[in-house]
Amino acid sequence: MTPLPLLLTLSALLFVLGLFAVLSRRNAILVLVGIELMLNAANLNFIAFWRYGPQDADLTGPLFVLFSIAIAAAEAAVGLAIILMNFRRTRSTDLNRLDSLHG
Amino acid sequence: MIPLLILSPLILLAALGAVWKARPVHAALLLALSLALVAVLYLTIGAEFIGLVQFMVYIGGVAILIVFALLITRPGDEAAELDRRPRSLGVGLACVLPVLGLLLFAFSKGLPASSAVEANPALPVQALGRELFENSVPAVLTVGVLLTAVLIGAALFARETGDKPEPPASR
Repeated sequence: MTPLPLLLTLSALLFVLGLFAVLSRRNAILVLVGIELMLNAANLNFIAFWRYGPQDADLTGPLFVLFSIAIAAAEAAVGLAIILMNFRRTRSTDLNRLDSLHG
Repeated sequence: MIPLLILSPLILLAALGAVWKARPVHAALLLALSLALVAVLYLTIGAEFIGLVQFMVYIGGVAILIVFALLITRPGDEAAELDRRPRSLGVGLACVLPVLGLLLFAFSKGLPASSAVEANPALPVQALGRELFENSVPAVLTVGVLLTAVLIGAALFARETGDKPEPPASR
């Protein structure tokens, strides 16, 4: 097995694990854990295609990963701030308690 | 290739733990382990700079942020979490397995046979810096503005407002 399919399989499995966490967890912080896993899987794909893809590739892959890591950090900071704000209000991080817009 | 074969199962095991552990702190620490192992993977396949950035931002920033958020908030009910395990496992697998199948099918069909004959050269940091600060200056500046906005926004969201917490819902 060559490295490219191996890395892509690893990335697909990581993505699916993250998706599973997002769908099945009720603690909002653990949903963020799943989102981080999915973002990480996407980054792995960029690196894999840059390194083992067509020859003489330019640096778009690593460049994109750098920006993606910056956005992921920003996303985690804002997400956790929102979760903290909501925790102050409801004393819980349970996503099922977020129903104040429920008709 | 050998480090890849050793690291891949470890990364998957750590990620599985992060997804599966009922106690939130264990899940967060296993996420940190998984991200660290991915950083080691980057180091071994020639993207050293990306690996170091991953270490600094993900382990030093995001994972620590998640652990601190767990320390500040009250843990959820672990017994309830374990109680609804079978149901959430069924629903989660039903949603997730088609996605996995689609991903694996896509790249089993789509990869050209000649790919991965030999690797591209390792990441030249000097060229990356030139690319970043000569050709993608607008993007770098935009990310700077975004991070500033996030800094202010997160501080605004998380500040103490003095509101009384709502009484627990009656249902």
